[in-house]
Amino acid sequence: MAATEAKSAAINPLLAAALALPGILPAAALAQSMPDQGIFSVNYLDYRDWQPGADRMSVKSPSFYVLAPFADKWTFEGSVVYDAMSGASPLYFNTLSGASGTGITEYRTAGDAKVTRYFDRYSIGVGGAYSHERDYISRAGSLDVRWWTADHNTTFAFGFAGNADYIHPADRELDNGRRHTLDFLAGVTQNLSPVDIVQSNITYSTGHGYYSDPYKLLDTRPDERRIWAWLTRYNHRFVQPDATLQLGYRYLNDSFGGDSHAFDVAWVQSLPGNVTLTPSFRYYTQGAADFFFGPPFPQGFQFGQSFTADTRLSAFGAMTAGIKVAKVFADGWGINLSFDFYRQRSGWRAFGAGSDGIEAFSARWINAGVSKAF
Amino acid sequence: MRRILIVALAIACAGCATVTPVKPWEKGELARPSMQFDNDRLEAKYTEHIYQSKEMASGGHGVGGGGCGCN
Amino acid sequence: MGGDNELLLGGADHPEAIAARAIDDVMRIERKYSRYRDDSVTTAINRAAGGDPVAIDAETAALLDYAQTCHQQSGGRFDLTSGVLRTVWDFNRNPPARPDAAALRAARECIGWHDVEWDARRIRLPRAGMQVDFGGIGKEYAADRVASIAADAGARHGCVNLGGDVRVWGGRPDGSAWRVGIRHPRAPDAAMAGVDLHDGAVATSGDYERFVDIDGRRYCHVIDALTGEPVDAWRSISVAAPLAIVAGSYATIAMLLAGDAGPFIDRAALRWLGVDADGAVHGTIE
Repeated sequence: MAATEAKSAAINPLLAAALALPGILPAAALAQSMPDQGIFSVNYLDYRDWQPGADRMSVKSPSFYVLAPFADKWTFEGSVVYDAMSGASPLYFNTLSGASGTGITEYRTAGDAKVTRYFDRYSIGVGGAYSHERDYISRAGSLDVRWWTADHNTTFAFGFAGNADYIHPADRELDNGRRHTLDFLAGVTQNLSPVDIVQSNITYSTGHGYYSDPYKLLDTRPDERRIWAWLTRYNHRFVQPDATLQLGYRYLNDSFGGDSHAFDVAWVQSLPGNVTLTPSFRYYTQGAADFFFGPPFPQGFQFGQSFTADTRLSAFGAMTAGIKVAKVFADGWGINLSFDFYRQRSGWRAFGAGSDGIEAFSARWINAGVSKAF
Repeated sequence: MRRILIVALAIACAGCATVTPVKPWEKGELARPSMQFDNDRLEAKYTEHIYQSKEMASGGHGVGGGGCGCN
Repeated sequence: MGGDNELLLGGADHPEAIAARAIDDVMRIERKYSRYRDDSVTTAINRAAGGDPVAIDAETAALLDYAQTCHQQSGGRFDLTSGVLRTVWDFNRNPPARPDAAALRAARECIGWHDVEWDARRIRLPRAGMQVDFGGIGKEYAADRVASIAADAGARHGCVNLGGDVRVWGGRPDGSAWRVGIRHPRAPDAAMAGVDLHDGAVATSGDYERFVDIDGRRYCHVIDALTGEPVDAWRSISVAAPLAIVAGSYATIAMLLAGDAGPFIDRAALRWLGVDADGAVHGTIE
C-alpha cells in the first residue's frame, strides 16, 4: 500500500467508521505476530581467511533451516549446520602452527530447535541447541517470551538461556574443561510509522568455567566472564525508490576488559523481476582484553595471572563490505548469493590505540542459498 | 555502565508510548521482509558465528544458540 | 447486482473453493439487503415504517453507523432514506420526463435520516412511506468482504470487480501492482487513466450508469437528499482508498458536494480523478 494511500482516522472519518464493519479487513491484517507461512532453506557457505603471506582457515559449511507453523497456533523452527574446517590457526599473535602452516582438519555438527506457542497477546517459545566437534560439546536450552500491544505496534521480548560446554582437547586432558553460561535478553520492537521500525535489545551474559584457548602456546584466561550488550536496529522504507535502509549499532562491555562498538548499514534495493540487491557495510572496533599482551611473546606473562596472546583479544578495528543479490519467484521459491570481504587492522581501532605489532587479518565468505515458502 | 544501559532501554520504552500508533491498513510496507528484523535467520546465524569466532564480542541479538570451540 | 463482475485470485492451492466462499458472501449480502426480496432486512424495516421498531443484527447496525458518518460528512446530502426519490425520478419512463412537482414534494416528506430512531439493536422509521436503501454502500461492502474472506482463506493476491468498483490485495502474483483502469464517463469502453495498487480500492460514481436526458440536460441516479434533485456538477468522480466502501462513499459524496468535491477528498488525503460537467478533468490521479 503506497504511503500516499495510508492515512490516519483523524482525517479520514469514513475509513475509521468502515473499520467497524464486521470482517472488513482480513484477520491477517490485524493479527500479525504469528508467521502464517512456513519456509525451508538450504545454504552453502564458503569461508576463507588469511594473514599477510599465509592462508589460514578454510571452512565449507552447508546448513538447513525450517520454520513451520502447525496446529493453528504453534510454530516449529529448526536448523542444522555442518562445518568442515581446515587450515592453520595461530599459536600466538600471527605465528601459525605447524611447519608449513597446514594445520588441522575439523568437523562440527550443530543443530537447534524451538517450539513456540502463540496466544492472543503473547507467545512462549522453548528451544534447545547442541553443537559437537571432536574436542568440544555444547548444549543449550532457552526460553523466549514475547508479548505485544493490542494494535501490534509494540512487542516486548524476554529471553533466557543456559549453556553447558565441555572442552576436551585432543592432545591433553583438562581437569577443568567445563563452562556454564546464563544469558538474559530484554528488548522492545516498535513500529514508529508506516515506514519506520526500531528494535532495541539489552543482553546480559554471565558465565564461569574454562575460557582459555587450549591450542595456543600459552593462554590462561579468567574463569568468570560477564558481558553486557546493547543493540539497536532501525529500518526505514523509502517507498518511491522501492528500497529499505537498515541501520544497527551495538555497544558491548566485557569483563575481560574490552569494550566494543559495531555499526551496521545495509541498503536493500528492489529491482524489477522480484530481485533485491543489498550492499552492506560494517565497522567494528574493540579494545583489548585486560590480560592481552602484545609482542614480543611471551612478555607480560606472570605465573598465576591471566595471559593471552590471541589477536582476537587485541585492540583493533575491522570493516566488512558485502553485497547480496536475491530473487523471489511467484510460487514461493527464492535464491540468494552473497559475497563479503572482511579485514581486521589494529590501526583501524576507534576510541583508542590499536595493539602494536599485530598483523592485519582478512577473510572472505561466499554464501549461496535456496529457499521455499510453503 | 549498567545504569546507562537500563536507562537507555527505559527511554526506548517510554518513547514508544508517545509515538502515533500505526493503523492496520498502514502496515503494508512494514510487513515487507526487508523491514522485519528476524527475517533471514540462517544468514544471521552464520554471520554471528563468523564474528564471534574472529572478534572478542558476542551478544545482543538473541539467546540460546550453541557455542563452538572456534579458532 | 448488474454490471460486469470479476474475481481473480492468486497464491492459493485451491482458488475455486475460496472463490466459492467469497461469492457465497456476496449473494448473502445481496439477499439480506435487497429491496426486492420479501425476506430481506431492508424490506422488513421499510414495511414497519410508521409502526414498531425492527430488530437488527451487528452487521446491519455497523452499516447504519457507517451511513451515519456518510450523512455527516456530506452535510446531509447523502441520506440512507433518500431512496424514496427513486419512485418519482423514474429513469425507465417513456418518454422521459421530470417528476410532477406535487409527487416530488410528497416524496421529500419521506426523507429524513436525522428523524430515524436507531441503536445497536433496533431501528424504526417514524413515518409511513419512509424507506432505507442500502444500495449506495452494499455493493462496495460486498467487494471488501470478498477480499477479506479470500485473503483469510489463503489467497495472498486478488482482484475483485463488482459492477465497476474494484478492490485489490497482495499485488499481482508476480510482485507487480494491480493496474485499475478508470472509465471515461462519455466513452465507457475506453480507460482515461489507471491507478497502480498493491492493496486498496478504486470506486467511481458517475452520471452514466442510470440516467435520463431531458431537453438536453442529464438527470442521473445520484440525487441530493436536501434538494430532491439529481446532481449535475460532475460527470464522474473516481476515488482510490484502502477499502472499496470508503472509495465508493467518497466518490458519491463528492458528486453530491459539487464544487466542494476536490477539497473534500483532498482533506482525506485520497487520490481522485473527476470529469466535470464541461468535460474538464480534475484530481490527483495522473
